[in-house]
Amino acid sequence: MKLAKKDLNKALEILSAGAIVFAPTFEMIEDKSEGGQTMAEKKFMPYKEGMFIALDGPNTVKPPKDILFPNVEKMYRYKTGVNAEIQEIIPEDTKKILFGIRPCDMRSIDSMDKVFLTKEYVDSYYAKRRENVVTVAFGCTEPERTCFCDSMGIDPNNAPSADVMMNVAKGSNGDAFILEAYTDKGKELLEQIKSLDGGAGEAQRDTKCQLQINKDPELDKKLAGMFEHPIWDKITKGCIGCGTCTFVCPTCYCFDIDNENYGAEGCKYRCWDSCMFSDYTRMAGGANPRPTKKERLRNRYMHKLSYFNERYGETLCVGCGRCVANCPSHLDISEFIEKATAADPNAETYTDAPGKEA
Amino acid sequence: MAGLTEAQVQDRIREEAKKALATGEVSAVVGWTSTRFEDKTKPYFAETEAECDLLVWNKYCINGTGKFALDDRYPEKKIAIIARGCDSRALNRMLRDKQLKRENLYIIGVVCDGKENAVCEGCQHKNPLTYDVLIGEPVEEQIDADRFKEIEAFEKLSPDERYEYWAKQYDKCIHCYACRNACPACNCVECYADQYRTGWQGKAADREQNQVYGLTRAYHVGDRCIECGECERVCPMNLPIMRQTKKMLKDINDLFGDYECGLPDDAMPILGSYKLEDPDEFM
Amino acid sequence: MSIKKDDNWEPKILAFCCNWCTYTGADLAGLNRMKYPENVRTIRVPCSSRVNPQFILRAFQKGADGVLVCGCHPGDCHYATGNYFTRRRFMLMQRLLEYNGIDPKRFQAKWISGSEAAKFRDTVTEVSAQIKALGPNTKFVSPHYDNAVQAKEGGAE
Repeated sequence: MKLAKKDLNKALEILSAGAIVFAPTFEMIEDKSEGGQTMAEKKFMPYKEGMFIALDGPNTVKPPKDILFPNVEKMYRYKTGVNAEIQEIIPEDTKKILFGIRPCDMRSIDSMDKVFLTKEYVDSYYAKRRENVVTVAFGCTEPERTCFCDSMGIDPNNAPSADVMMNVAKGSNGDAFILEAYTDKGKELLEQIKSLDGGAGEAQRDTKCQLQINKDPELDKKLAGMFEHPIWDKITKGCIGCGTCTFVCPTCYCFDIDNENYGAEGCKYRCWDSCMFSDYTRMAGGANPRPTKKERLRNRYMHKLSYFNERYGETLCVGCGRCVANCPSHLDISEFIEKATAADPNAETYTDAPGKEA
Repeated sequence: MAGLTEAQVQDRIREEAKKALATGEVSAVVGWTSTRFEDKTKPYFAETEAECDLLVWNKYCINGTGKFALDDRYPEKKIAIIARGCDSRALNRMLRDKQLKRENLYIIGVVCDGKENAVCEGCQHKNPLTYDVLIGEPVEEQIDADRFKEIEAFEKLSPDERYEYWAKQYDKCIHCYACRNACPACNCVECYADQYRTGWQGKAADREQNQVYGLTRAYHVGDRCIECGECERVCPMNLPIMRQTKKMLKDINDLFGDYECGLPDDAMPILGSYKLEDPDEFM
Repeated sequence: MSIKKDDNWEPKILAFCCNWCTYTGADLAGLNRMKYPENVRTIRVPCSSRVNPQFILRAFQKGADGVLVCGCHPGDCHYATGNYFTRRRFMLMQRLLEYNGIDPKRFQAKWISGSEAAKFRDTVTEVSAQIKALGPNTKFVSPHYDNAVQAKEGGAE
């Protein structure tokens, strides 16, 4: 179906009658002091009447993963002592629509599905949220300079696993969209906004990533043999060991479980964790198999580019470029991919300035 | 730029880096190198003569280099740091906190004329304060009359407005600890936030834990902040972190006299010392 | 916030008292049968400089309406210099909290010696009245704490 841009808010209005619609928008924080500037952050927020929907432009800083896998998920409450009891907290049964997520983020949800729902283990919290979510993906129109999803085998114009795929209509100059349902859930969703249908049309699907990188198609296998390679020493030196890359990453799914006590009662929760932190692999006795940032960053890159392939048959990096754009030290996973592609897996030494005469 | 062009400074940096490595006493020279984006550079450890030619100097060299000296607290060889004014203050800070030994450092000071970084506008120390070799002619320092302008403006808001503002900011925080890891005053061997089994800091990134983290950090580094602005620059969620630490500095200046951190003098940090004649409000 | 304001509301005040002066002073107040508001909860600490600024923040989060830190007069510290550090520390902490929206009356520090039982009584009475006038603290209160209070209010009773 065809949806005019001016009808976008109407469509979301209709959809939000039966579900919470998350759409990309700007959250403003007003600084009321003299000379203060209002700060805007692009993020997915529940639709409210008249909300500005920022479909195009750069992607959100934080990925939409927290709608399925919240930063802090309370698992159960408890009371201790004589009246000890455990009260499970089950995620609410609310329908949610994820509107306007990019193909890279859609692929990241596929990866999370694999982690949380397959291999004979189903995470009940994730499963509950996942079954209530309908995804409406939006084909990229203006990829950022840090975007390289097509080099990672993802089409920025199309997300095959989405419930509904939405693209700019050809020749409409961004004023109309073509929506196509890929699943039954998607058909149901389009049925609801049928009244806004502007007829047939063709989707514009010719976006290419700005950043084209040279990646060895067998990089996962090559990296598996490069665990002790000297390249790790070199490329991890500039890292400051913060967790930015993992928290802005749409596919980082590690969590930690902790509890908070208030007198004789408390709450068990799980929250995002980062493999870049020193306590991530630290054991009770204090030993840490990943003592420095070299081991930690190596683990992150290996997980994204090799370990995950081994277990699930796909690369965990979706090329969204968030870590590239946000790294405090301006480290760049795409640069690493190119360097690893070019590197000799059996080399004894590694330098960034090869073949230069001294 | 103090008589030298950007390209000339870059040549001098490479030359000095090579000289330092050639002595055999230095394991690596920490500076900046280019990335695939023209307007970004990244910190770089040059370990061979050829790698020294990858070091760059331009207006996008914004990352602090000083903190990398802490990567190895017991090095076999010296580490050479290419230091702007702020980096030299960072090194002074860590030397004063006894986190580093001066003899393990070789400091290549570079006179800096400000980078593409908002914090550079208020810079009061363009000349490196501590160095073994200096590149460029020292320039005249500017006194920033507006050092606490932002803080004064914010203080004028009502208490509720201030609380709301900060609460919303802390809602954004994702607990990545980039501010801590970039900060030269955050040099504890093990941060209290990493000892989470002791219960100081909860792991959840909710408003409650973020407020504790934000205020604890602001307070803890408040008297040792060198105003390099790294915390604010690295924050992926754009929290105005300096607005908290600068408040501490402003109060310190008001209560205990002119105070600036990271200078080569041996002054104790304000909260690590006292004077009998300090003002007393608790009588 | 869900904390209900009613006429019978009494503030919760947390007082960190130094073992050598203020705690002894509070003891003396008790021995002399002096009456002071019972909404003060005392925590004994070895020295007023033992009080970490984090304690204060956590106290507000977990439901305190006011926090009081008391120690020996400057010059009288059992450890010679502890309270000189306290003085610098909490003058700055008070300002930082005020900057973050907390009324400075909610966090106070006072020097009370072992013989100043009357000063302890007066201080506590005054602080209690001030905080009662301010009403319940709604800033920095943990949502978890809030939930627990709600559950209690709506549940068992």
